[in-house]
Amino acid sequence: MSETRSLLLEIHCEEIPARFLAPLSNEFADGFLAFVKDQLQVQLDVERFFSPRKLAWRIQGLPVAQADQTETQVGPPQRMCVDAQGQPVQTGLKFAEKWGVPFDQVRFEQPAGKKEPCAVVTLVRKGRPTLELLAEALPRLIASLHVPKAMRWGSSEFQFVRPIRNLLCLFGRDVVPFTLDSVTAGGATWGHRLFHMDHPAPVAVPGPEAYEAVLEAAGVVVSCPERRARLARQVTELAAAAGGRVVSDEHLLDTLAEIVETPTIIAGAFPESFLTLPKEVLVTSLAEHQKAFCVENAEGELLPAFLTAANRPDDPDGFLKSGNEWVLRARLYDARFFFDEDRKQPLIERSEKLKHLTFQRELGSYYDKTQRIAALSGALASSLGLDGTDGRLVAQACKCDLVTLMVGEFPELQGIMGGEYLRREQAHPKVWMAVKEHYQPLSADGPIPASDLGGILAIADKLDTVAGCFAIGQIPTGSKDPLALRRAGQGITRILFERGWNLNPLAIAALALEGIGDKATRPAKETLEALEGFFRDRVAHQLEQAGYPGPVRRSALAAGWTDLVDLKARCEALSAFADDPRFQSLAQSAKRIGNILKDEAPGPALDAGRLQEPEEKVLAGLLEGLETVGDQDRLLNSLAELAGPLEAFFNAVMVKCEEPALRAARLALLRRLQGAFLRVADFSLWQ
Amino acid sequence: MHIQELILRLQRFWADRGCLIGQPYDLEKGAGTMNPLTFFGALGPRPWNVAYVEPSRRPADGRYGENPFRVYKHLQMQVILKPSPARVQDLYIESLEAMGVDLRKHDLRFEEDNWEAPTLGAWGVGWQVMLDGMEISQFTYFQQVGGMDCRPVSAEITYGIERICMFLTGIDNIFDLTWGEVKTDDGVFPVSYRTVRQREEFELSAYSFEHADLELHWRMFEAFEQEGWRLLKDFGHFLSAYEQALKMSHTFNVLDARGAVSTTERPGIIKRVRDLTCACARAYVQNDEREQAMPDAAKGEGVTA
Repeated sequence: MSETRSLLLEIHCEEIPARFLAPLSNEFADGFLAFVKDQLQVQLDVERFFSPRKLAWRIQGLPVAQADQTETQVGPPQRMCVDAQGQPVQTGLKFAEKWGVPFDQVRFEQPAGKKEPCAVVTLVRKGRPTLELLAEALPRLIASLHVPKAMRWGSSEFQFVRPIRNLLCLFGRDVVPFTLDSVTAGGATWGHRLFHMDHPAPVAVPGPEAYEAVLEAAGVVVSCPERRARLARQVTELAAAAGGRVVSDEHLLDTLAEIVETPTIIAGAFPESFLTLPKEVLVTSLAEHQKAFCVENAEGELLPAFLTAANRPDDPDGFLKSGNEWVLRARLYDARFFFDEDRKQPLIERSEKLKHLTFQRELGSYYDKTQRIAALSGALASSLGLDGTDGRLVAQACKCDLVTLMVGEFPELQGIMGGEYLRREQAHPKVWMAVKEHYQPLSADGPIPASDLGGILAIADKLDTVAGCFAIGQIPTGSKDPLALRRAGQGITRILFERGWNLNPLAIAALALEGIGDKATRPAKETLEALEGFFRDRVAHQLEQAGYPGPVRRSALAAGWTDLVDLKARCEALSAFADDPRFQSLAQSAKRIGNILKDEAPGPALDAGRLQEPEEKVLAGLLEGLETVGDQDRLLNSLAELAGPLEAFFNAVMVKCEEPALRAARLALLRRLQGAFLRVADFSLWQ
Repeated sequence: MHIQELILRLQRFWADRGCLIGQPYDLEKGAGTMNPLTFFGALGPRPWNVAYVEPSRRPADGRYGENPFRVYKHLQMQVILKPSPARVQDLYIESLEAMGVDLRKHDLRFEEDNWEAPTLGAWGVGWQVMLDGMEISQFTYFQQVGGMDCRPVSAEITYGIERICMFLTGIDNIFDLTWGEVKTDDGVFPVSYRTVRQREEFELSAYSFEHADLELHWRMFEAFEQEGWRLLKDFGHFLSAYEQALKMSHTFNVLDARGAVSTTERPGIIKRVRDLTCACARAYVQNDEREQAMPDAAKGEGVTA
């Protein structure tokens, strides 16, 4: 193996927005690897580093030069190049001249596809030094990065995510010579601002391997996972020191790791009087405004303490603690102002204001929506045989918090605030809980509403959104789903599925569509067709989320999906047989049955007396049991036991025989068997 | 640290770094960016460094002088550097040191905060600058102003004077800040922010939340708009027309604070202000190009490189 070296590239910028760091890091790495594969014919890995002011990559094992490339050029026939004595004539000399070689390097060979020997030269193209290739490619790769919110700065037309202030680029110990928008790459970089207060010059990086250590000494932990790990450790320790445990927020931890270079956690306190605010308000306000964690005791009650990150190793004069506490007090003061103001008026009195809050241009205001939700949730409750007494009240109240100050400030508290305000207005627990829960589930693994009324309200709200948007042609396509309808549809499906509520998604969607009425801009039939495909996909996804194996999902879904309770029972039962070899055999047989029946018109009912062979008589004998057994597990056991007889049947019996009556009987037998299978699954998809 | 001392230090700092020291523009406005020194200064190719204090009115933030942190009107110190210098962040950090912040003991962070002023057809990218967890400045690279690309790009730095002063002094209530000291033959009398401003906060909050005549404000909005377009179309006067747009903007803010503008109306109203400000910006640039094209003698007292 030829000599290799490591490459280190660091783009040092003014502070890059956290959300762009990982995407830019990955995009460059992919582009660079493609370049390496294309130009140097090696497959390598990239180490990625980033911090608020740095994007850096290290690649080990790059050859110092491209391999030499040889190529063969074929010229005119030998007889035209040399005379009888073998001396070159004009054509031969010209050929050598064309490729820049002396004539004695021209050989005469008969190449494949030629009828006679021809002039041939072999040219060696010297591989270029990698350093040169890098100097050309790197500025191009950097400049072509896709920057979502690109900016210009100064007088230049160059665009990047934030102004580039330094480039560090080493190939082994050599600086890769290139310039990007007037910044020339060199062998030094900048550490933490605090470090440079005492060290005014950039720090030299002796080689790619020294990168992390040089930066660590200059106050920068350049690996993001390392920063995250250090922050997580300190969070745990300091929460314990504050007498509790952290209210976990993985997303916040990710963010903090991306916005500091020296990862340090600062602990602070806020006045206990703010603990009268709802927990959600405190947690959200701290996380949103101050990027701070809350601390709770073993009972889940908040302590008047918080933890947040700082971008320096210590707090020598306590300024960081007192500063963060100061700001937090101001924020909590605001939150309490919103909370007190909001409570001056009963929540439900805001429903008039909802008339001026547009839900969707064609679908009217949020007031209109709550009217529709009220009707729909009433209908859902009665079809489930649940108590819908408070359904109307809950539906009318559930959107009122959208016009409160608190939700204006923290949109993610929608529902939660409505519930909290109602609770403090002494509303029935059923009522405030339903309002509080009705946006759930907020994520694929987030909780679903725990109360019946909350579940009904959640379904009615989401269903109104989905059916309404479909009715005005706002249908998600491909990656485009701006109104998050798939998430809403998934929520509906998941609640039905997990609660075991026997409601046909299509039937209730049709009900919701009636509520939309003449606001619809497309025919109801088209909308319902689109909704059918939509909900089938949601149900398929739900089965996947629930963890059923592929064969179970595919075959169960194909045998009917609108009765979710039945579907769930079939999936549960089928899962027990997921690895059963008899089902493999059953799948083969089911496929054969499908193929045989594919082109056959429905024939007469089975006349078992016409059957001749013992193998088919056995099957006919088993049929009745299969068709009448009610219990899914027993049915599946019977089906599993059918695998052997079916194999025997196909080995022994020719279904499409000459004799019409026998043939009809056999086809009828298979049709009956297929019907029995489809009670639980389409086994032809069991693979 | 007193309010006036902070302002004086910042003005001295930026004057020493080659900025003109401007003055607030005598019309109500929501932010220092709306001052013509910034709005027009950021347009066109001329170099332009300017710093000034701008009282900024946010009717919806009025709290009757009762909230220790929020006020109807606050002071912004605005700095425009065009083109944005390569050392702009370092300059900013030096300005913090000039205010008396020893950064060896504090935590300074630049966190993404992109700026957009829909009524000005303006946007930029940048940060909110956090000192020990508190936002003390906005830092923006203007990309567009008045609907036009900024070439070259200006850096805009906005300091929240009261916030920084509270932070530096550890005072928890804006009204407890000291504005400055009055010296008379009888002695030295510190004057508080409360004395200078609290009554104003009370009356202006009451005005925006209770007493403003909404119907009158809608009529004024229309009238300013017509006046603005008349000035621009009939006379090509972009400055006087721009003043009308500023008045529209403030009138809209008063209506908005009262909840008189529905969410559906909002974008349309904002667009009417933007249409006028953007037209003013275009007229300014055309005029500027004409002036640049004139022979030196006719330019009079222009900007010299």
